[in-house]
Amino acid sequence: MSRAWRLMDTGVRPAAENMALDRALLESCQAGAVNTLRFLRFEPSALIGFHQSASQELDLEYCRREGIAISRRITGGGALYCDQGQIGWELFVGRRTFATADMLAIARQVCGIAVEGLRSVGVDAAFRPRNDIEVAGRKIGGTGGAFDGDALLYQGTVLIDFDVERMLRVLRIPQEKLSDKAIASARERITTLRALLGEDTPSPATVQAAFVEACARGLGVTFEAGDLSASERGLYEQYKAEMARDDWVFETDRPRLEVATASAVRKTAGGLVRVMATVDTARARLKQIFITGDFFIDPRRAIVDLEAALRDVALERVDATIERFFAGRTVEMLLLTPGDLAGVVHEALRTCGIPYERVGV
Amino acid sequence: MASVRGCNIPEDLSYNVDNNVWARREADGTVTVGLTAYACSLAGEIVAYTPKKAGKDIAKDKSCATVESGKWVGPVKTPVTGAVVAVNEAVAGKPGLINKDPYGEGWVVKMKPSDWDGESKSLKTGSAAVAAFEAKMDGEGFKGC
Repeated sequence: MSRAWRLMDTGVRPAAENMALDRALLESCQAGAVNTLRFLRFEPSALIGFHQSASQELDLEYCRREGIAISRRITGGGALYCDQGQIGWELFVGRRTFATADMLAIARQVCGIAVEGLRSVGVDAAFRPRNDIEVAGRKIGGTGGAFDGDALLYQGTVLIDFDVERMLRVLRIPQEKLSDKAIASARERITTLRALLGEDTPSPATVQAAFVEACARGLGVTFEAGDLSASERGLYEQYKAEMARDDWVFETDRPRLEVATASAVRKTAGGLVRVMATVDTARARLKQIFITGDFFIDPRRAIVDLEAALRDVALERVDATIERFFAGRTVEMLLLTPGDLAGVVHEALRTCGIPYERVGV
Repeated sequence: MASVRGCNIPEDLSYNVDNNVWARREADGTVTVGLTAYACSLAGEIVAYTPKKAGKDIAKDKSCATVESGKWVGPVKTPVTGAVVAVNEAVAGKPGLINKDPYGEGWVVKMKPSDWDGESKSLKTGSAAVAAFEAKMDGEGFKGC
């Protein structure tokens, strides 16, 4: 019988403490500590991904006014808002835990475990490429990871309750630049255990127990409750101060000017198509896109899946991504064609001053 | 140019196989550092790049840059000790260049090495590098680039 993995619940903490624990535990894992599953929760916090810019992603003034902590993760992915209504889960494991070294395959396998955990509390969860956990097309959790040498950290959230309004105010761009329609559509793209299960919503403890069970089954391991080691405690104390400082949070900050918003509306044979997007002009990359309108599409979730597929895609790859998306599934759109959709996306991207040739043809 | 399971492994470069990085001594004495084609294949498309600042001293096997792909963040570990003398502005604007041309335009940093002659002895090159990558891919269940 192999050694039991450590199970840890570090409770509700300020963002900087959770970030410091991530760093301490990943470092400890690389030094040979036992594989660990940690559950964590946050006091109200706005978290950006490792490579993101707080000024670009967040309404800093709003966060400060509302007492929302601003922090930067050691993991990748996008900005998010969290408070006590969500559970964070994370695995600190050696690479050899997985039969593959392919990072996308590892992420997919861990997400599969999270999906099983959610299914066992009664929601029909699924993995949505590239990194979301969703229920019927609506996101119920995001994930991301970090690695150093042979140690991996992969983490995610589960939304039990979620304040969408607050998230929209924290994440600067939709609030200031996008229309009410886009805000309403953002609201349609997220769900929670409470929204799905009502009074049968499980307690955080029940959700966590379901995750432990799913991990044990999915990875063929057992768990034993444990605490930080003395050396982890030392690292944590050191990083706690470091990661609360602006030097860390704003290390990767960039000018707001590098983010442009783009939009277009076009009447097509298949109906009205409205596209709103945010673009990282310095990196020629689509950040986020919303596609709405009165066109017919079946299944309806195909549009949100397309939006997910287009997240963080290089502008030159937008066309190929749309093409591959429709080639890979059966979508009924009556008179609307994938080419029409791509056309409106192009039109939108041109409005933010990106030279047409960089968008691709 | 040698190819291991479809991944280019140029035989004239020096590799730290464990860290999946290469080094090339340039005529001016600097060392160019980058990720291997194998590392790129495991990572998937690289979408962000944050190098250490020019002038910064970095010990061998420590991070000279951080990259992100598929929401994973990880370090690029320099194979030799030295000071960063240049970062790649083209990659900063287009991180996917690392995948597209890992041994050319997609280089990660240029270093002024403090002991190339001593440290490069521990790096693998030529057929020894090719064999080491073959063994690494075998151990990691890798099908091919």
